[in-house]
Amino acid sequence: MQSTRNSGLEKFKKIGKTEEESPLPFPELPPDVVEMKVKEGSKIRNLMGFAMSRMEGESTRQIVFSGSGRAVTKTITCVEIMKRKVGGLHQVTKLRYQSLREVWESREQREPKGENLTVHRNVPSICILLSKDPLDPQQHGYQPPESLTGLWTPEEDFIEEASLSLRGAKRPLLSPSPESGSKRLSVEPPQHLVD
Amino acid sequence: MADGGVTLAQHREIDPAEFTLRKRLPRKLPQRRNDVYVNMKTDFRAQLARCQRLLEGGEFNEICIHGLGLAINRAINIALQLQGNGLGALRLAPNTSTVELVDDLEPETDQGEPVSRTRNNSAIHIKVFRADPQ
Repeated sequence: MQSTRNSGLEKFKKIGKTEEESPLPFPELPPDVVEMKVKEGSKIRNLMGFAMSRMEGESTRQIVFSGSGRAVTKTITCVEIMKRKVGGLHQVTKLRYQSLREVWESREQREPKGENLTVHRNVPSICILLSKDPLDPQQHGYQPPESLTGLWTPEEDFIEEASLSLRGAKRPLLSPSPESGSKRLSVEPPQHLVD
Repeated sequence: MADGGVTLAQHREIDPAEFTLRKRLPRKLPQRRNDVYVNMKTDFRAQLARCQRLLEGGEFNEICIHGLGLAINRAINIALQLQGNGLGALRLAPNTSTVELVDDLEPETDQGEPVSRTRNNSAIHIKVFRADPQ
C-alpha cells in the first residue's frame, strides 16, 4: 500500500472512491448471509456487537467478514475474536485483489485548475467465512474449529520430513533443538521409510 | 527478561516518565526450511524473490508464508504476486491465528518495579503450493 507522500499525488485531494463489487468467493452461500464489511475506520466494538448479536441466534448458521487494504488486519482480528467467543466454528479464508477506483482533484488554487485524476488501484483483500455447520475440508483455506497448533498437524510435519529423507537428503528426523526453543514433536516413522 | 515483574491483564496508559516500553520478541515458532516469516524491515522485493526461489528450486512442493500484525498485508501481497507470476499453477491456502505478545515496561525511576503486559495480535499463514495437474 502506498502512502500519498511519494506517489506523485501531493498536489491532489481525493474526492471520490468506489469499490468494484464482486461476488463472495464461497460456494453455495445463502443469499441473505450476514456480510460484515470491515473498513479502515470501523470500530471493532461496533462490528462485534452487531455480528455477535446475529450469531447468537440459533437460526444464523454462517457469517462472512470482508475487508481490503488497511482493513485486512482488522478483519482478521474480528474473526479471531468471534472464534474465541463462539466455539466450534469452521473457517474458510480467501485472498484476492480488490479493484478500487479513486478520483483525485487538483489542489492548486490558481486557474486553470487542471484535470481530475482517476487512479485504479489493486489492493489485497480478504474474505473469511465462519460457519457453525461443517464446511468442505478440501477447500483451499479451510481451517477446522479450535485447532491448537494452528499451522500444521503432527502427521503433516512428519510426512514432510519423511518425503525429504526419501529423496536422499540427510536430515535427522524431527530432532528437537533446545537452543532455538522451537517446539518439535517426536514421531516414529513407519519402518519402511527409515534408511 | 523481566520475569520477576507483575503482569497486567488489561491495557492501561503508561506514563513515559514512569516506564519505557520494550516489546518482547514473539515466541519462536517452528521453522522448517520452507517457512518464510515476512517483516516490514527487509525490502519487499527481496522477500518476494526469496519466496520465488524457494518455490522454483524444486526442493519443496509448498512454502508457508507467515505474517504478524502489520506484516499481514505484505504477506498477502507476496502470496498474490507469486500466484500472479505462477502462470495459473499455484494455489493459496490461508489460515489465521492469534499470537500473544508481551511488552516489558521498564521503570525509569529507581523505585519502580518492572511490569509486563500481554496483548494479542492477529497473524496469517499462507500455504503456497502447486495445483495438481489433472
